Amino acid sequence: MRSAYAGNESPARAESSVGAISHQQNAETFTDGAESRPLQSVGDHSVGVSFADNTLRTSVNSVSAAVGDSVDEPTAEIVSSTPILGPNQGEEVSRPTDDQIIAQENSIRAAEAEKMPFVGTVEPLSALEEEYRQGSFVFREKIRSLEMQYGSMRRTRGDGNCFFRSFMFAFMEKLVQDNDLTERNRVVTCIRQWKAKLIAVGFQELVFEDAMEIVIDQLNSLGTTEPLNVAQLEANMRDAMLSPMIIMLLRMLTSAEIQRRSDFFAPFIMGMCDDEISVEQFCRRYVEPMGEESDHVHIVALTNALQVPIRVVYLDRSVGAAMAGVGYDSAAVNHHDFVPDALSESASAAAAAVKPRVHVLYRPGHYDILYPLPVTAADSTQIASC
Amino acid sequence: MASKRIQKELQDLQRDPPTSCSAGPAGDDLFHWQATIMGPGDSPYSGGVFFVMIHFPPDYPFKPPKVQFQTKVYHPNVNSQGSICLDILKEQWSPALTISKVLLSICSLLTDPNPDDPLVPEIAHIYKTDRQRYEETAREWTRKYAMG
Repeated sequence: MRSAYAGNESPARAESSVGAISHQQNAETFTDGAESRPLQSVGDHSVGVSFADNTLRTSVNSVSAAVGDSVDEPTAEIVSSTPILGPNQGEEVSRPTDDQIIAQENSIRAAEAEKMPFVGTVEPLSALEEEYRQGSFVFREKIRSLEMQYGSMRRTRGDGNCFFRSFMFAFMEKLVQDNDLTERNRVVTCIRQWKAKLIAVGFQELVFEDAMEIVIDQLNSLGTTEPLNVAQLEANMRDAMLSPMIIMLLRMLTSAEIQRRSDFFAPFIMGMCDDEISVEQFCRRYVEPMGEESDHVHIVALTNALQVPIRVVYLDRSVGAAMAGVGYDSAAVNHHDFVPDALSESASAAAAAVKPRVHVLYRPGHYDILYPLPVTAADSTQIASC
Repeated sequence: MASKRIQKELQDLQRDPPTSCSAGPAGDDLFHWQATIMGPGDSPYSGGVFFVMIHFPPDYPFKPPKVQFQTKVYHPNVNSQGSICLDILKEQWSPALTISKVLLSICSLLTDPNPDDPLVPEIAHIYKTDRQRYEETAREWTRKYAMG
């Protein structure tokens, strides 16, 4: 299930070639340029890691070392703190040092940041069309179909946090624009209730309390004389400290939701992972670390954790849905509505009437924000539910 | 933000110290700590006191702390420079972890080496093929470098 992060540059921007489109078929192989590769290889170390200690997740990393030094001959009482790979040391030649890994990550991040802030500006959907100008027919048709429903989009940085970032930005932006104090009050109460639940699944309060206060303070500014506005929200979400704080909190809520309902999530997780992995291990490996990409499971958990319905629209090369009575529509864009259980139950048969609060566009390996057109064309069947 | 979090972890460690380790700033720099780990009783490191150096990155806790043994340790997952091969110090780091949890994980690693993912293949080989020799050497190193 894991797809190593491979960047979010669109093919047209990255290579401007038709051939590049084919990379998008599969997130596992979708790489868009040399700068993506080092991060992928770093991520590879996590593959096949076994857990030595279930309680403290102390599995040892699978890095190989070439040859060791004369380990039976201790020579110094205190080991020097110089970097591992000295020029005159023959050992561990195949293993990058922590410093090297971090330096490489930093340089990748810096390169990425120059191209793309954490969240971009609102762009018309025609920008997407332009991006796939030389792309496949299916993509272009799907984008045209998308334009029946959505007017604009906002890109997010492809650093593995894009789903959480897209979600939170879109959710808060809508609250701000509508000055929706009812929903604000609901979600603030909901987040406050998570404090006890996070502690119950084992999170120390000190790891999440600041982030929780930051999010609640931002929400609570609505309705005051100095309410959060979209410009400030953009600034916050682009801030090198605030943005990860918010994402970290969402990851913890997602993890806690999965662990609290492990019976429900366990079969999904078993189906996603090749190796045997417990629900708790899954959360620690694939949910809590920053930059781990989000899958279906993460979205189901988050939509329930915050009781916010989410629509994910899939722009991929899958052939369109077969539509009843209409035959096979290759240009239909699939979407999936993630509806919180409580809402779908209360709405019972009318579950379909639960309106998504957040719309995100999924392209293999990446999420961006979508802005629906005004409701005149609402609920047209142009987009087929999957 | 990083220093606020580190400060909280420090208070937490002082309020509720783990039984087998201690940690705190080495000097005035809050981002540079020194820790000690007591060799676990059920391991050949028993009786030893191991010094560990901790460096917090400026974007902690979004990036892992850098943790290194200063005392020589004979262990398949610790090399001659004191580097520790532990996934939670690398790609499996998450902001939900703390220094306290990292130190406890290192304690577990001392008790249960992971020879299948070695940092020092020779020691891993000896650990797998001649456990007695591994234990003797580890005990000898502990006596020599981690006591007194």
